[in-house]
Amino acid sequence: MSEAALEALRSTLAWAALATLLVMLPGTAVAYVLARREFPGKKVVSTLFSLPLVLPPTAVGYLLLRLFAFDGPLGRRALGFDLGVILTWKAVVIACAVMATPLVVRTARVSFEAVDPRYEDMARTLGHGRLATFLRFTLPLSARGLLAALILGFTRAVGEFGATIILAGNIPGRTQTLATAIFSAQQAGRETEANFLLGIALVAGFAAVFAAESLAPRQAAVPGRR
Amino acid sequence: MSAPPSLAVRVRLPLDRFALDVDFETTHRVTGVFGVSGAGKTALLETVAGLRRGARGEVRLGEEVWLDSARRLRLPPERRHVGYVPQDSLLFPHLDVRGNLCAGRGRALSGGHDFAKTFAAVVRVLDLEPLLGRAVATLSGGERQRVAQGRALCSGPRLLLLDEPLASLDAALRSKVLPFLHRVQAEFALPVLLVSHDPAEVQALCEDLVVLREGRIVARGEPRAVLTRPEVFPLARREGGFENVLPGVLVETRAESSVVRLGRGPDGPALTVPRAAAAPGGSVLLAIPADEIMLALERPAGLSARNVVPARVEAVQAVGASRLVSARVAGDAPPLVAEVTADALAELHLAPGTELFLLVKASAVTLYEDGG
Repeated sequence: MSEAALEALRSTLAWAALATLLVMLPGTAVAYVLARREFPGKKVVSTLFSLPLVLPPTAVGYLLLRLFAFDGPLGRRALGFDLGVILTWKAVVIACAVMATPLVVRTARVSFEAVDPRYEDMARTLGHGRLATFLRFTLPLSARGLLAALILGFTRAVGEFGATIILAGNIPGRTQTLATAIFSAQQAGRETEANFLLGIALVAGFAAVFAAESLAPRQAAVPGRR
Repeated sequence: MSAPPSLAVRVRLPLDRFALDVDFETTHRVTGVFGVSGAGKTALLETVAGLRRGARGEVRLGEEVWLDSARRLRLPPERRHVGYVPQDSLLFPHLDVRGNLCAGRGRALSGGHDFAKTFAAVVRVLDLEPLLGRAVATLSGGERQRVAQGRALCSGPRLLLLDEPLASLDAALRSKVLPFLHRVQAEFALPVLLVSHDPAEVQALCEDLVVLREGRIVARGEPRAVLTRPEVFPLARREGGFENVLPGVLVETRAESSVVRLGRGPDGPALTVPRAAAAPGGSVLLAIPADEIMLALERPAGLSARNVVPARVEAVQAVGASRLVSARVAGDAPPLVAEVTADALAELHLAPGTELFLLVKASAVTLYEDGG
């Protein structure tokens, strides 16, 4: 029993980590553009990236299912080959990544907005190009906030249920996660197992949110502050 | 020292309430831009630095073209080789003082500078050695300014842009930072463009002055001459008043006061001033507000003012209800400007050539050490 539970925990952590890494790079880029640039349709873009936060997760799961289905835009008929996503671990990762995206983008955006753009101007006058300025000044100045984004994204991925169960199913040993395992245990009346899984979820969740809270952006990046 | 490359700025930049619209060219080592707050001074500096995308026109330093809208040319800030020192210093909070000084190292190296040598010179001239390991957040205002200037100088700039280098500092700190600025001018042969709303600051530092009002140039020339012009003097008065900034040499320091000889030569009159920390023989700058100087046709007796200086009237100028009297004293110091009312002027029958006495209280004089 606890063997299977531990297996679910291990897979969940691995898939959530992969999903978070997958989101971080493009998510940070999108967050930076939203924080620094003005362009037509910016509100639409920003809303789209927040959508998974407000939609029922099952709706997102169903949308992804339509996307990867045989006759969907990313299905075998359109691509000519099968991506092999549905009902596999890849589906878990994709579902988690999509559900984590809003938290990553929103948190990263706030932490970029907390960095006075004049620091970037200053770096440019000292001879640094756009990319060097971003890597050597913007990133370190927003590091705490970005770390918080990473932790929040990861937590969301670990806890993902609705989208996962639709796109990846709930197959023990193959696509079962902590969240879906609790669901199965509870449905089948395996109370001890459910309690054990609940305990794990509580400890992991508390640790993650506590870490994120203590890393949230301070006013460190406001100029003129002594 | 060879003449600095000419800096040409012909730009138009829409701002909130008006447009910055300037056209000037300078070959002076230190050019000042004077104007009240909100006249567009910082916008002008940022335009030269390349930080204002909306600017149209032309910016050149010597042979280098930084902006030429007609040719659709706009060099990004990282290729303009400017050393920008903003008013609030903008030191990078994630780096310590040494890290900040080294922030422009790559550019200095690619420009062919010997970074280690420049770094050592900057640390020596600005006295930064004790600060190198400090976190930026622990620095005082004057220290922040010095580090920001050091960071700019270390990056191997061809033009130094200073935004109100002294304005954010109190009087005690000013007298500390001013000598450093003079040493920077003396040691690093760099053209400087400086903006300021402080009449004393521009006189102490600049050779050439451009006066900006709502984005446009309203006067241009030698700082003290420009600041006493009728159309500029009211601006100076709004910013704390016009002060005579004069060179001097410290003669001796007593228990309660110091004595300074006006001018650099041996013939200037001696003035009693507040006690100075500098050693006798050192050069100083004196600042005497124009409205703190009284005029007398005869040497008064039984007077509390410590200084009674014989002078001869050179010019009299009307500025609104006030009259500005320029009077030359013995020696090589430039003439002093006193502000009196029109009535007082009429009563004294002052005209060019009139001999008179300037009365100055010791406490009205501010003394700055001059590192030059």
